[in-house]
Amino acid sequence: MRVIIKGITKRFGALKAIDNASLTIKEGDFFTLLGPSGCGKTTLLRTVAGFYSPDEGEVIFGDQVINDIPAHRRETGMVFQNYALFPHLRVFDNVAYGLRARKVSSGEIRQRVESILKSVQLDGYEERYPSQLSGGQQQRVALARALVISPKVLLMDEPLSNLDAKLRVSMREEIKKIQKMLGITTIYVTHDQEEAMAVSDYIAIVNKGKIEQIGTPYDIYYKPRSRFVAEFMGSSNILSAEVASYDDEKELLRVKINEDTVQIRTPKPSSESIMLSLRPEWIQIVGEEARSQPNVFAGTIVSSTFLGSMLRYVISGFGGQPLSVEIHDPQNAQVKEAGDNVLFRFDPDRPVILDK
Amino acid sequence: MRKLFTAWNIVLIVVFATLFLSVVYPIFFIFKASFISNETGLLSLESYRAFFHYPYYLRCLRNSLFVSAASTIVAMILGIPFAFFLSRFHVPGKSIIKTLGTLPLILPTFIGAEAWLILLGRNGILYNMFHKIGLDIPTIYGWKGIVLVFSLQFFPFVFLMVSAAINSIDSSLEESATNLGATKLRVFRTVTLPVVTPSIFAGGLVVFYLSIENFGVPILIGEDFRVLSVQAYNEFISEMGGNPSMAGSLSMILLAITLGLTVLQKYWVERKSYAMSFLRPPEVKRLKPLPTFLIWLFCVLLVFVALFPFIVVIIASVTKTQGPVMYFGQFSFDNFVKAFTLAPRPILNSFFLSTTATLVGVVFGIVVSYLVVRRRGPVSYLLDLLIMLPLAIAGTVLGIALAATYNKGPIVLTGTWLILALAYFIRKVPFSIKTTSSLLQQIDTSIEEASINLGVPPLLSFIKVIIPIMLPGILAGAIIMWVTTLAELSSTIVLYYGPWTTMTVEIFQRIGSGDFGPASAYATILIVSVLIPLFILNKVLGKDLASSL
Ligand SMILES: Nc1ncnc2c1ncn2[C@@H]1O[C@H](COP(=O)(O)OP(=O)(O)OP(=O)(O)O)[C@@H](O)[C@H]1O
Ligand SMILES: [Mg+2]
Repeated sequence: MRVIIKGITKRFGALKAIDNASLTIKEGDFFTLLGPSGCGKTTLLRTVAGFYSPDEGEVIFGDQVINDIPAHRRETGMVFQNYALFPHLRVFDNVAYGLRARKVSSGEIRQRVESILKSVQLDGYEERYPSQLSGGQQQRVALARALVISPKVLLMDEPLSNLDAKLRVSMREEIKKIQKMLGITTIYVTHDQEEAMAVSDYIAIVNKGKIEQIGTPYDIYYKPRSRFVAEFMGSSNILSAEVASYDDEKELLRVKINEDTVQIRTPKPSSESIMLSLRPEWIQIVGEEARSQPNVFAGTIVSSTFLGSMLRYVISGFGGQPLSVEIHDPQNAQVKEAGDNVLFRFDPDRPVILDK
Repeated sequence: MRKLFTAWNIVLIVVFATLFLSVVYPIFFIFKASFISNETGLLSLESYRAFFHYPYYLRCLRNSLFVSAASTIVAMILGIPFAFFLSRFHVPGKSIIKTLGTLPLILPTFIGAEAWLILLGRNGILYNMFHKIGLDIPTIYGWKGIVLVFSLQFFPFVFLMVSAAINSIDSSLEESATNLGATKLRVFRTVTLPVVTPSIFAGGLVVFYLSIENFGVPILIGEDFRVLSVQAYNEFISEMGGNPSMAGSLSMILLAITLGLTVLQKYWVERKSYAMSFLRPPEVKRLKPLPTFLIWLFCVLLVFVALFPFIVVIIASVTKTQGPVMYFGQFSFDNFVKAFTLAPRPILNSFFLSTTATLVGVVFGIVVSYLVVRRRGPVSYLLDLLIMLPLAIAGTVLGIALAATYNKGPIVLTGTWLILALAYFIRKVPFSIKTTSSLLQQIDTSIEEASINLGVPPLLSFIKVIIPIMLPGILAGAIIMWVTTLAELSSTIVLYYGPWTTMTVEIFQRIGSGDFGPASAYATILIVSVLIPLFILNKVLGKDLASSL
């Protein structure tokens, strides 16, 4: 089922929890709403589920505007953050609940419940009460209960946030697998950017009720359009620069950051003063022999932190600006100390020009 | 969603109408009546002037305040050590002592008074016994008797509240005080006492409130010692046609006191919050044999004396009787046979009225809890306040208000069972609401939403999911409501009429005419009817009385 959100605004008193949000989700896509706490993700999801009615705009399933359809007739399957299992019902009855409400015959109920429990690897747990299950198992029951009714859209609000780190990783892979297997359109809410990248076909970055950017995980990571997105997805060095010249033929832009001239391969920017995003892993520490290459600059190590899989430096460069640099697999790198003078470089293809 | 006449709005209107008609309007009605002259029918302050002019009325006020204060002090003197001993020291048979120690607060006070009349009345067995050997021991009549009965029946409130406070003190707190060099006495004074004091006051307030609103005990054993509730009743019922204006003003004065107490209590309860992290409950010390024995003796004696009256009543019920003369030692089931065969109506009436009030109360309680907990807003806040109002009104006052209001006019209810059921319902429904709403608060809204999301409409979701989860608590609330309405006397006595005599009225009247045998039989039936559901509450639902009140 395709889902379209068209110009939705939802207010709580004076607060605009969602501000004119629009997006389109193709049939079968895994779509994630990602943003910091309080940005309005849950509100948007609950608006789709029908627990809130929007002040403006439309929610569309397929070709049908469903604003006036009450929550219990929307045919969505929702997985709640705290699972919301019915404590007085056994696993089987929890999962069968939605089917019974749809008056499915008891033979079919048995068969469908058993098959969905098998796909979440919970066959054999039918007779247990929720309180007799671990967090991960409860999570799977919640997922099975939402999936068994073959909902038009699967909605998940931070379904993994109550699990420990290891389980979170294995559960998200399982969720992704089942979602692909059933081909069900899914809206997923999280504030964990790694989780979002791992599971999503598309990600919408939400900030203060507004959608900042929609794209594939690659797009969002490599082509952030705003400073907020660049900083929220991983860490980023944000630099202000003045346009010096533009070479139309080579599509090469020269900008000045303080005294240094930086080359960037990019379409011509519209403004004279721009903002750049430069990811820490795009910067390399190089030796004297690299001097002749483009984009080589001098800096001083401010601090150096060894984190196992990587080495993180803070370098003072471009006239004293702190720059974060990450060296992956640092075993063979020549480790620098604070105070050392170094050269660093990055590829002209890499820096991203931000909208604002 | 934005329609005015959604199902919930209709429910809201019904709820407010019920509260308005059963509490707000009747109270307003006698408030108005208290300002109307009996002679001229015009607006006047004559009743209030009479109240403050005649020592007779003022004495009622003074008496009420005096017995309540005295009972509060004695209940504290009994309840505080009882709580300390049982929470801090090793006492043999502790759990049974605790259970029996909370029982008096659910047993009807006027039955306690009856037992003391059997023992220490003018014709009482103990009194006669000593009289025969030439000793005149004091009788139960007057303020001392009232204080005795009140303090023995109400001390469990002090006990329960103080115990809860003591057990909320983390032991490391006292340990660290000791570690800092404080002596035992100093630790008690600077750590333990400040934590427990608010609870002592809270418990004391409850005792004071229950004492001042009580009707059965002072009317049975007060004799010339008149208190407000009794005087209001007398003025209203009086054979000379009654004095609604005076009854109204006495009720208003009693209402002002009970309302004040309730507000004070709310203030105390909200203020006292021991934000203890509850790591380790205080250590239970084992004392040397002699002190242990003394502590044990105190606790056992207290429980025994508090429950002794009820044993006396049960014994009296199976004792051969002839009119007012009782042949103690001679066993007979006559009283029961008569009660069940000749006059079973009061028993059936009581059961019918309590059951009706409870069933309506449970449904009402669920609905109101839902409105208050799940549909937050100014309207539900008002409802939350209004619903606790009956708790601040003495039974006698509510009875008088209902009887005066629905005696004539568009709605006439006096002389029907409905007015009794209504009084029971409104007096005790706050308990049902308290238990259900605190339960509902603990159930996450997402459970309901999960059900709605799976295709079940909201109301049906509530019935299919939330009610089953709350069921044990709802049952506990229902049991408390049932047993307390069964023992209701103060409004019943104003509102009953011939065919709808209840067990409590029957007992009351039999005591009045000195028929202690039959009175005890009904009283025993009442006691058993109260204890059996409490036993079920305890065993089947695993809840004790203390946690359900
Ligand atoms: N029922 C409500 N009434 C009033 N304000 C609300 C309500 N629900 C949410 N809000 C407010 O709307 C904003 C968005 O809330 P929302 O729950 O959608 O955030 P979120 O992105 O899901 O955050 P989190 O990651 O912490 O769950 C917040 O400022 C919140 O305080
Ligand atoms: Mg949220």
